[in-house]
This record gives sequence, structure tokens and C-alpha cells, in this order.
Amino acid sequence: MKVITEISEGIRLSLESIWANKLRAFLAALGVVIGISFVVLMGWAISGLDKALQDSINLIGEDMLYIDKWDWSGGKKWKEIRNRKDITYQQAKQLISQLTLAEIAIPGVTTWSAQVKANNNFYSGISIYGTSADYGRLPAGDVELGRFFSLFEERETRNVAVLGHKVAKTLFPDQNPIGKYIKIKGRDFEVIGVVKKQGTMLMDFIDDRIYIPIGNFLDIFGGEFYRSVSIGIKAGSIDRMDEVREEARGLMRIIRNLKPWEEDDFSINETKAFEEIVSTFRLYVWGIGLGMTILAFIVGMIGIMNIMFVSVAERTKEIGIRKAVGAKNRSILMQFLIESSTLCLVGALTSVIFCSILVFFVAKFLPKFVPETAFLQPFLPFDFVLYASFVAILVGAIAGLLPAIRASRVDPIESLRYE
Amino acid sequence: MNETNLNGQPLIELRHISRVYQVGVEQVFALRDINLNIYRNEFVAIMGPSGSGKSTLMNIIGCLDTPTGGEYYLKGVNVGELDDNELAEIRNKEIGFVFQMFNLLPRANALKNVELPLIYAGISKTERIKRAREALESVGLGDRISHKPNELSGGQKQKVAIARALVTNPSLILADEPTGNLDSKSGEDIMKLFHRIWTLGNTIILVTHEYEIAMHAQRIIRLRDGLIESDAPNSTRITYDSMVE
Ligand SMILES: Nc1ncnc2c1ncn2[C@@H]1O[C@H](COP(=O)(O)OP(=O)(O)O)[C@@H](O)[C@H]1O
Ligand SMILES: [Mg+2]
Repeated sequence: MKVITEISEGIRLSLESIWANKLRAFLAALGVVIGISFVVLMGWAISGLDKALQDSINLIGEDMLYIDKWDWSGGKKWKEIRNRKDITYQQAKQLISQLTLAEIAIPGVTTWSAQVKANNNFYSGISIYGTSADYGRLPAGDVELGRFFSLFEERETRNVAVLGHKVAKTLFPDQNPIGKYIKIKGRDFEVIGVVKKQGTMLMDFIDDRIYIPIGNFLDIFGGEFYRSVSIGIKAGSIDRMDEVREEARGLMRIIRNLKPWEEDDFSINETKAFEEIVSTFRLYVWGIGLGMTILAFIVGMIGIMNIMFVSVAERTKEIGIRKAVGAKNRSILMQFLIESSTLCLVGALTSVIFCSILVFFVAKFLPKFVPETAFLQPFLPFDFVLYASFVAILVGAIAGLLPAIRASRVDPIESLRYE
Repeated sequence: MNETNLNGQPLIELRHISRVYQVGVEQVFALRDINLNIYRNEFVAIMGPSGSGKSTLMNIIGCLDTPTGGEYYLKGVNVGELDDNELAEIRNKEIGFVFQMFNLLPRANALKNVELPLIYAGISKTERIKRAREALESVGLGDRISHKPNELSGGQKQKVAIARALVTNPSLILADEPTGNLDSKSGEDIMKLFHRIWTLGNTIILVTHEYEIAMHAQRIIRLRDGLIESDAPNSTRITYDSMVE
């Protein structure tokens, strides 16, 4: 009860004295304000990345495996991977038909930049993706308009196309694209569906492609130069990933005629690869941010300690009065610790408000100029705001410790002797 | 009722109290050998020339300072055996200080200043405000509770200080030259107030070097060079009996 009375009184007093010396308090807390700003902004960037990662994983599905010539984690054994033989459509079909444990398996082949004609205009830089009707059963194949192509249309190699969300917006800005015709490499395709907006930082290309039956794809593009086909396999649940992966690897090794001592000449990619990419990003952010944060906090602590020593010196008489009416040494100690912590906490709240505004505008406007930053969110992560407040209180208490000890040792007789 | 109670336990009892300051290699004897009993509801004036040890004695009685020799009993408790926290508690509960320089918190208004001892007593806010207001009303400053010290006259500041000393209902009011910084009119006012507080049953020890001020007390103790020179009832006491309403 006594302690609560003293603490609440201490907080009230601290706010009063901060208010009485606004500018001085602000300058003293500037280092802490900057330090806290770094912490919450780092938290913001990282939580944006994490969310982008999670979005991508959700989009693909955690239980997806991709058998591919290419390796998603990139970098490693680049030369060896480049020299792998392409996976042919025949091999892909063979694998898909032999798999027994997978829920869905689909072939996929891409051209990254094709020219498309719609409404008598030409558009370039659109990717075309050849796949099977089963793609429509994956989460990534959900349509917002029309439907995905059917098994029948796939077999019959009908000239039907399903547009990615962004392609639909580009080709048919204010029209319903269903039933319209587009020209891909001079051939007419009927638009029968539009896939939902999927794009995330790591997968933004996915909104920018057109899905057609794989047979048509190979017919149009196959002769040009050889392309490697990938096989997407949905295990059905994470528990079954290992079985499905082993079955697929075994079958694929047979299909590719590998000798027992030869290494796999294909990669089995999973969404885990994204996590690796993001964790490298995260490391960069922390690496840059942490050094600056520590520096700012050291400068901040010196500032707070300084101002608290000044405050103690100015208020020796007040301390004497308080002791004369019954304040214990530890009450005085606590009062000054509360004061330095409150100063830092107010600094932290200032930076949170400042950063919230900053973050809002950055997240709203930066992606217009730098689309890669679309993963940023227009608000600060709440848990980081909490950490920051906690850190501020701690920093304040540490920085205020020596001044508070000095305050608690003020001799009341000495301090009250003279005016 | 206002007569010295010579029977029963003294409120304070000083036995061979000395206080020596070490200044470099030299020793300064502020108090040499003080023996003194003060009983409940006494009104004592301590007189003496500057440097005679009056303030040192007050600080020891008020538990702000500790003697270098001798024993001090407050309500029968040997104060020398208490630690810093217990001394702070005694200052809070048993003692009300009034200083020459008022010693109010400059940024706090009258009410907040009077509340201060109650904060360290752990009393709730509503109760604090109630009691601080009552104390201010009792010294005639009920209409000045939200004034800051710099908005009050010297006499009013000292009344706030007295209200602060009274608010915890202490056993003992200690006033070290309370009129030393006031003009004679305000000084007179303050003495009237002390007189009334005393008639209400409080025990008052007042330090002064002014004869007219000391004349208000019941008993006058004279100090010289850290020793009691004389200790006698005041036969020519000024009373306000005709003036007290
Ligand atoms: N902190 C101190 N250090 C050294 N000497 C002191 C200290 N405080 C008081 N004294 C000395 O003790 C003596 C008594 O002082 P004080 O009690 O203040 O006298 P008074 O209040 O009667 O004027 C004086 O000689 C003074 O110089
Ligand atoms: Mg003195």
C-alpha cells in the first residue's frame, strides 16, 4: 500500500517535472528516442518479411513438394545444377502416373516473357504457364471469376486460358474478361477464368501469368528451345511429406536412369526454402539495426544519466525536505529511478507515435515507387511496441541508478541549512 | 492542563548528549553534555547566541541527526538503537518540523506541500487531501490551498509549513527560528498560531534568539557553547488568552 502510494506519486511527479522542462527532457531522451525508433522499425520490417513469408507458404501450401531441375534455395552447386538434363514432359507424366501416395500432382512449365495481344493491343512481359487441369484443385488455382480449365479441355488441347489477377487487370482494365479472346503467339485463346489475387513479396510473379493446358503450351513453345518441366506434388498433409518425398525421389531416380551411386540430378523443393531466404534477410536487418540500436542506447543512457545528475543537484533541497518529513532513503532512490524510467518511457511513446506515422506513410506510398516493398505493413507490430516500452523502462532504470543513489544519500541537514 | 507534567514518563529524555564535528584535524563541539527532559504538552523555547548549538540540538531531537555521545529516549524508545528507516518513520509519525526558511516544495501548491508527509505514511489520496485541507483550514489558509509558495507571503508560507507539521498529528512540533525570516507583524501572527496549537494539546519546542518570541513559551532553556546555561519556567509569559477566540 505504502509502496503503491509512493510509486503513483513518483510517476505523477516525474510527468510534472518532464512537463516543466520539456525541451531539456526531450534532448536528454533523444538517444533513447532514436534507439527505440530503431527497435520498432526493425520489428516492423521483420514482421513484414515474416508475414510475406507466411503468405507465400500459405499460397503454395506447406505440404507441397516441387520436383524441378532448379533448386529454390539458390546459390549452391550452381554449375552442377545448370548442367543437369531438363526434365521432359514425358518424364513428368510418367512420375505423375506412378505416384501413389500424393493427393495431387501437376506438371508445370513456364515461359517468362511472352507477347500477348488483347483488344488489338500488344502486351509483353507476361509469363505463360502450362499445366494440367489439377492445378485448379490447388489453393493457388482458386478462381475469382469463371473456372479453371477441365481435364477434358486439357486432353483435347482446347485453346482456353485462365488469367492471373494482374494480367486480367492489364489486358481488360474495365471489362469482364470471361469469353474474350486473346492471342498468344498468333493463336486465339478463349479466356474462361481469372485466378484470385495471390501475389506476395516472394511470389508476386504469380499474378502476372496466364495458365493454359500444358499440351497447348508445348505445342506453341516446345519447339523453340527445350524447357524443363517441374512437377508440383501436394502430399495432403505435413505428416505425409516424408513418405511422399521418398516415393517421388525413388520413382524419379528410376525415370532418370540413375545408377545407385549417382547423386540426384533433380531437386526436391519445399516452402522451407523461403524460410531460408527470409532468415537471411532478417539477419541483414538485425545486423545493421542492432549496432545502431546499441550505439543509440549508449548515447541515450549517457544523456539520461547526465540530466538525472543535474536534476539531483538542482533538487537537493527538495530531497532534504522529503527526508525531513519521513521519506526513507529507498523512497528517494525509487523516486529518481521512476523519474528516469518515466523519462525514457515518455521518450519511447514519442518514438512509437513518430514511427507509427512514418510507417503508415511509407507503407502507403513507397510501394508505388518500389513495388518490392509491398510487404511492408502500415502499422507497427504490437509486440515490438511492448518490448520497446519494456526496454525503455530498463534503460531508464539503469541510466538513473547512479544519480538515484546519489539522491538517496543526500544529507538532509546539509541540504536544508541554506536557502 | 497547560502545566508541566512532572510525573510520568517524559516525552523526550536526553542523557549526556554530545555532538562533535570533525573539521579537518580540528574537533568542533556543537553539543557537549546535554541533559534534558521534556514532557507532553510543554511549550519550550531554546535560546542562545548564534553557534551555541540550538539547531544541532533540534536536529538530534527531530531524529535528523544522531548524537556522537549520550542517549536519547523518545517516548521511552532508545533512538540510538534505530536504523535509518526506523528514524525516517519516527520523523514521519512523531515529529513535525517548521524551519526558518519555510522549506516548502516550490513547484507544489499548498495542498500538495501539506500532503507530503502523508504520502510517506502511505495514506490514500482521498484521505490525504481531506486531512491536508483540514490542516490548512486550521491555520487559516483554507482559501489558499491551490496557491504555490511563490504566490504566498512569508507569513502564509510559514503557516503552510505549520500545517504540514501538524497534518500527521505528531507527538512533537519542532520549530527552528520560525519567525526569523518574517517581519514582526507576521512573526506575531505565527506565534499566535503556535500558542493556539499548544492550547490544543501539542508539545512544542521552538528555537529563537529573540527575547520577545521566547516570552511566549512556558519554559526557557538557554544554551551557550553546547551546554545548557539555564533551564527555567518563564514567569513573565505572554499569553493570548484575551485574543484567542
Ligand atoms: N556540519 C557541520 N560541520 C562542522 N561544524 C558544524 C556543522 N554544523 C554545525 N557546526 C558547528 O556547530 C556549532 C553549533 O551550530 P548550530 O547548532 O548550527 O548553532 P546555532 O543553531 O545555535 O546557531 C557551530 O559552531 C557550528 O559552526
Ligand atoms: Mg541555527
